[in-house]
Amino acid sequence: MNWVALRMLTGDRAKYLGIIFGVAFAALLMGQQLSIFCGLMRNTTSQIRDIEGADIWVMDQNVQFVDDVKPMSENELLRVRGVEGVSWAVRLYKGIGRARLDDGNFQQMILIGLDDATLVGAPRPDRIVHGELGDLRQPNAVFVDEFGWRYLFGKEPFQPGKTLEMNDKRAVIVGMCKCNPTFQTFPILYCTYSQAVQFLPQERKTLTFILAKGNDDLPKEQVCKAIEDQTGLRAQTNDQFFWTTIQYYMQRTGIPINFGITVMLGFVVGCAIAGQTFYLFTLENLKQWGALKAMGVSNLRLVGMILLQAVIVALIGYGLGIGGAALFGFVFQRAMTSTPPAFYFGWQILVGTAAAVVVISLAASLLSMRRVLFLEAGVVFR
Amino acid sequence: MTATVSAPPMAAIQFRGLSKFFGTAETKVTALDNIELALPYGEMVLLVGPSGCGKTTLISIAAGLLNPSEGEVVVLGQNLTKMGANRKVRFRGENIGFVFQQYNLLPALSAVENACVPLLIAGWNRAKAIAKAAEILTAVGLGNRLKAFPSQLSGGQQQRVAIARALVHEPRLLVCDEPTAALDAASGRTVMQLIKQVAVQPDRAVVVVTHDSRVYDFGDKIVSMADGRVVEVLGKGQRPHE
Amino acid sequence: MLTRYILPLLGLIAFAFAVQQMTQAQQKTPPAVPPVEPAKSPFAKQLAGSGIIEPETENISIGTNLPGIVERVNVKVGDMVRPGVPLFRLDDRQLNAELVVRKAFLENAQATLEKLNNAPRPEELPPLRAKVAEMVANLDDQTKQLTRLQRLGAAASEDELTRREAGVAVAKAQLERAKADLALQEAGSWKFDRLVSQSAVKQAQAQVEQTGIELTRLTVKAPQLKWDATNSASDATEYKVLQVNVRPGEFVGTVQGQALIVLGYIGKLHVRVDIDENDIGRFRPNLPGFAQPRGNPHVKFPISFVRVEPYVIPKKSLTGLNTERVDTRVLQVIYRIESADLALYVGQQMEVFLNAAEGK
Repeated sequence: MNWVALRMLTGDRAKYLGIIFGVAFAALLMGQQLSIFCGLMRNTTSQIRDIEGADIWVMDQNVQFVDDVKPMSENELLRVRGVEGVSWAVRLYKGIGRARLDDGNFQQMILIGLDDATLVGAPRPDRIVHGELGDLRQPNAVFVDEFGWRYLFGKEPFQPGKTLEMNDKRAVIVGMCKCNPTFQTFPILYCTYSQAVQFLPQERKTLTFILAKGNDDLPKEQVCKAIEDQTGLRAQTNDQFFWTTIQYYMQRTGIPINFGITVMLGFVVGCAIAGQTFYLFTLENLKQWGALKAMGVSNLRLVGMILLQAVIVALIGYGLGIGGAALFGFVFQRAMTSTPPAFYFGWQILVGTAAAVVVISLAASLLSMRRVLFLEAGVVFR
Repeated sequence: MTATVSAPPMAAIQFRGLSKFFGTAETKVTALDNIELALPYGEMVLLVGPSGCGKTTLISIAAGLLNPSEGEVVVLGQNLTKMGANRKVRFRGENIGFVFQQYNLLPALSAVENACVPLLIAGWNRAKAIAKAAEILTAVGLGNRLKAFPSQLSGGQQQRVAIARALVHEPRLLVCDEPTAALDAASGRTVMQLIKQVAVQPDRAVVVVTHDSRVYDFGDKIVSMADGRVVEVLGKGQRPHE
Repeated sequence: MLTRYILPLLGLIAFAFAVQQMTQAQQKTPPAVPPVEPAKSPFAKQLAGSGIIEPETENISIGTNLPGIVERVNVKVGDMVRPGVPLFRLDDRQLNAELVVRKAFLENAQATLEKLNNAPRPEELPPLRAKVAEMVANLDDQTKQLTRLQRLGAAASEDELTRREAGVAVAKAQLERAKADLALQEAGSWKFDRLVSQSAVKQAQAQVEQTGIELTRLTVKAPQLKWDATNSASDATEYKVLQVNVRPGEFVGTVQGQALIVLGYIGKLHVRVDIDENDIGRFRPNLPGFAQPRGNPHVKFPISFVRVEPYVIPKKSLTGLNTERVDTRVLQVIYRIESADLALYVGQQMEVFLNAAEGK
């Protein structure tokens, strides 16, 4: 009988394609919007992901997210080093600096100052496109990120030695590295900590973060706890800080609501198209369903047949839609070169969209099923 | 398949004091009023009467699609009124063949595929079911249109496919609802001839609901109904008063 | 065909693409290793501080007593100098000129005294004596004239007699005066005048000496060692010149804290460790530990406790900025570096780790 159900489904090609298109469209819309949303949210944490090499971020206890800069006293670094379980700790400056370009314009920059001695947090070698990490130790040297270079100099090919002016000091670009796209879209400059301090207007405190590494045999969370207990600072693992930041943006900005609405719209439109087409399809075949019922097909069997149709439609539609979303991201990420794209295609997208498609198909099939199950078999005689 | 059912001389269908009401107390409509009727095996029984006289309700009850309000119905020796819903569905699938006025063929399936559906319901393997259906279709004269889809067939041909479908699983009761109503006179006659020729067997009861007077000649017995009551039961060749 | 095979196949391909894209996006790079592994502490309970290398004597910042222009610098950076050796000299022309003036004053005073000591002048006495003789003669003459007149008796007029008597009286007085003049001259200078003159000489002498001392103060010398018992220095110790901030021709003042030349005795290097005030509770004297130079975590220097600076001072942040900022206060603890390896330099920053689990 499943065979009959399938033949019924595919019998009318136009309707069949219509249903699949509806599901695929809903899946595409939701998958793509969710991906952009996740990408945007993820971009807020790009620096957390870019600054590697350490496990733990230590910051002022009032810091709410990664761009919320609340500098600490230099001494906190030493205090963190004294915490049991901390293998090492180094300083990190992360903030916004203002650069004057050759043409006289000003541009905000994300400034990352790495510990002079160790350069902890520097881009790993495979992310460095031009230059050597050691070049950062040259006077006034900075690394710029790929998008930042295009942002500042357009299509010009990279050449070391370009200068910027920051806080009346000269900054010489000696290298270029790849960075994850940022939320603020400002160019990123890497330099040493002592250099970063000079690129900034005088401030009383400059130590924005401390990067620490726990002993390998201890759980990171325990080390964080120890740091918090002993120093009164806030310590989070990379993952915790990642989610803290995302949570901040989720709670404090309108982004989730706006995207939520779009995703909901996708869901509703998908429901409407797929659900209605499927429902109408069932309705049109009502006489046939009735005949089958009269011929001795049990209700259970009927439900099975309708569910099978829904599953097939959902599977194909979902595959096409999610594939379309992936293709969109694929093209989008390659087409955008001057500005960092916000697109993250994680497994959560696949699962979330799948869940929505399941709900859509289930809703459509339940609606149809109701009509078929409560169908008086006798109607076929009229 | 029908081993449990006792063979004639018992009547194939026996209605005892059968009544059917629709609606509640105030708007109560009596569709069938105390029907006492026995239909034998091996004959084609025509159920005739004006629209709304209750003939469709009567065969719906006989086919187990409706439950009677009062009285009993025994079909092929089984008391349907005492049968559970699931058993009734199975009983229907195994023992009753249907021919509908609008054919009700599945448009997505070819003629032979349509004809094999009851076998599939019974759980046959598809290849065997199709082979069997092809045999029956050949028997009803559509051996050359096996792969045709309903939309490619004429009304008469479609009804023939429907008859093939109704008989493919060799049911012991064939219920036909206005089989000729949508057909022209010639096709109607062909269809009735076919039913008479193929369906009427000694151990099988055939009930045809019709008000097409052109086909009265085919009936071995004509049950005339009006207002939910059996008016008269006529023998072969006789015609109801109208 | 399309509906039964191609569409599901398309769906499958699309889904596979999506999964492939997903795994690509999902890819997690293995954790990165820092370019230089930061200094690690092996201690379970540790106390960390930053430190600065200093000589055993601490840094001796040489200053000057007097402001002035530097004329000559006798040492250069890296020289070994013994205590008392001149380091630099200021311009002394003004003081030399003053010395000449002061010496002239002294001579003047001395001459005045000499003159007083040698009074009376011998040539002044004879005229005075002659004057006395003259007055004696004059008295004698007057007396004789009076006597003659008196002898005349009444012949002599009353008037004439009175005049002659007055003449005698005048002559007597004139003789007395001449005698007194002679006596004054013969007595010489007055004792008190001589005393005044003697003290004037002493004053002038003292002024000359003062200028002389000031002239020596223009030359700044290496200070004398003044060791406490814990020191490893002997008499043969020499300072090392760590820094020279003065060059001939420069003006130097007597501003406090201005280090013109920095000296230090480098027997053993010390490291001055800053311990945050919040961590003072966890610090105890005699904690063992080690120090690592910044940027070179592969080198460890064992250190041993020397002393605690009992006064908690405002911390100077060690960012290298010219405007050092004060934020919190730190306890400074001095440790000795127990290593003969002199790959360390005075003023170098160190990461110091103390084992807080040990030490009583």
